Amino acid sequence: MSRILGRRPLLLAGGGLAGLAHPAIVGAQTTPPKPDRIVVNASGGAMNSIFRRSYFAAFEREHGIRVVDTSPVDFGKLRAMVESGNPEWTCTEIGGQDAVRAKEMNLLEPIDASVVDRSDYPDIARDSHILTASAYSTALGYRTDVFRDGSQPKGWAEFWDVRRFPGPRSLRNHPADNLEFALLADGVPMDQIYPIDLDRAFRSLDRIRPHITVWWSTGAQPAQLLVDREVVLASGWNGRFYELTRRGAPVATDFTGGSLKSGAFAIPRGTRQAYWGQRFLSVMTRPELQAIYTTEMGYPGLNRRTMDHVPAELHPLMCTAPENLEKQFWLNVDWWTANAAMAQERWNRWMLRR
Amino acid sequence: MSSPAARRERALLLMGLPALLLLGVLFAWPVLRLLSMSVEDGSLEHLQRAVLDDLYLAVLFDSLKIAGFVTVICLVIAYPLAFWLSRASKIGLALGMFALLLPFWTSVLVRTYAWMVLLGRSGVINRMLRDWGLIESPLPLLHNLGGVLIGMVHVLLPYMVLPIYAALLRIDPDLPRAAEGLGAPRSAIFRRVILPLSLPGVAAGCALVFVLSLGFFITPALLGGGRVIMIAMLIEQQVRELLDWPFAAALSVVLLAVTLAIYAAINRLTKGARLAS
Repeated sequence: MSRILGRRPLLLAGGGLAGLAHPAIVGAQTTPPKPDRIVVNASGGAMNSIFRRSYFAAFEREHGIRVVDTSPVDFGKLRAMVESGNPEWTCTEIGGQDAVRAKEMNLLEPIDASVVDRSDYPDIARDSHILTASAYSTALGYRTDVFRDGSQPKGWAEFWDVRRFPGPRSLRNHPADNLEFALLADGVPMDQIYPIDLDRAFRSLDRIRPHITVWWSTGAQPAQLLVDREVVLASGWNGRFYELTRRGAPVATDFTGGSLKSGAFAIPRGTRQAYWGQRFLSVMTRPELQAIYTTEMGYPGLNRRTMDHVPAELHPLMCTAPENLEKQFWLNVDWWTANAAMAQERWNRWMLRR
Repeated sequence: MSSPAARRERALLLMGLPALLLLGVLFAWPVLRLLSMSVEDGSLEHLQRAVLDDLYLAVLFDSLKIAGFVTVICLVIAYPLAFWLSRASKIGLALGMFALLLPFWTSVLVRTYAWMVLLGRSGVINRMLRDWGLIESPLPLLHNLGGVLIGMVHVLLPYMVLPIYAALLRIDPDLPRAAEGLGAPRSAIFRRVILPLSLPGVAAGCALVFVLSLGFFITPALLGGGRVIMIAMLIEQQVRELLDWPFAAALSVVLLAVTLAIYAAINRLTKGARLAS
């Protein structure tokens, strides 16, 4: 007890000194002085260890600044940090849907185009405050020993067809993706999903509901459920299934009707090392580093030249491979930004109805 | 001039001061701020929604029900266990405590995933039962209320065992001996001496387990397969995902009020029981 209390004044003194140094950084026009470390917040687990091998290693080598990683990604915490005026994170990953809201709520630093070069990025991925780091998809994972030789359900209408494709299934315990899938299953064309007709979507969900064994809530769950044979079909982040496929588990991904979105990185507003945050984001745009991440995780980076560095045999497994891209739709972030709370409440109500 | 008693009281207060300050700064202040958020801009709208909307009422009722189940199951398992521990040999006690406390040092998330491996359709338990020919098709042990109860009882059992064990140890061994000397049968000794004297421990354990149960959200989310919704899960959703902090605060206020009311009720009940015995 006394030891903990004894340390506190020291910590406070350290914070005070760093605070004094702050105005000097802002005043200088040249490169700000180097801190001994920056903090990058990301999803954690396997992702952070691949980050360490790619982006963190390159940044540390070039700038001599240590990168400390934290997890998990937490929108609520980001807001609390920025509003407290002293964000701990130099950069943070942020869910694609949340990124737009975070920008609207003025929680992010603008990206400095003179530091972060995105000339090799598609136009839609050059936001003023958000670095679109990679694309991912909520797609259909299935057991290849149950659905052999391409006999798996293709698309959500077939996923809903329990007579032709029997077996326990899993979907996410969340309205996003599922409302879209329910409409597709009900025959709505992919380009007419939005604005979502909630009544129709929930009516469609009513039909599949008795056949869903598990409504999953963490990304690891659907992969685990498939491996354990707890279910034979599951929606899930494509990278989780990709990992199983690469490790030789009898699990594969069908992208038909998949819901594409992007993972993003940003700099919390008011963070002390904002300049070094920009430098870190700039490292993250490099194709050869993105390729390491893409190869390991199955989440392709958005630099156009990234895929040149990824082994050719892995290209068809990516959600952005041209033949997969045309089978999927992009989740409409604007619709979700406007309707998330309402859709979530309705979802909770629906889940509660037994 | 102050009396020795008053001086002693002041000294005790002074000794408690650091803990009180710590609690005040790190606990009471943030909680008060959260509570004040629920009536942000002087409007009762969020509280009204939290109290009147049938969705949140139903979830709150479910949460209380689940917390009640967990408490009863814990009590049924914990009392005999604590009784045995209070009379066990040194080795028995050490082994029992080790087994009881070991899960304490493992993260709740890891334990929850471990239950998924054990309880699944093709999990260890179902496979064993099938190999022994006891069942034909797998039992639904997971992704329902049963799975949630198993997981929560596992996490919360020590909170029930330890207070009861402590209460049992505090009982003066001369009392049951005297009862025996006066010819009371063993069942009567337990019923009329040991059980009443251990009730404060039972009450403390029940209060702890019940209150902690109400705050669970990871275990029910993972083991309930989405079918079990507890109020803490909805609060977490509002805080982290929807960022509607005033409404999250309103839900927390309702939960806190209900929790305090139940805690007061348990306290009053045990006081009554103690006076009666």
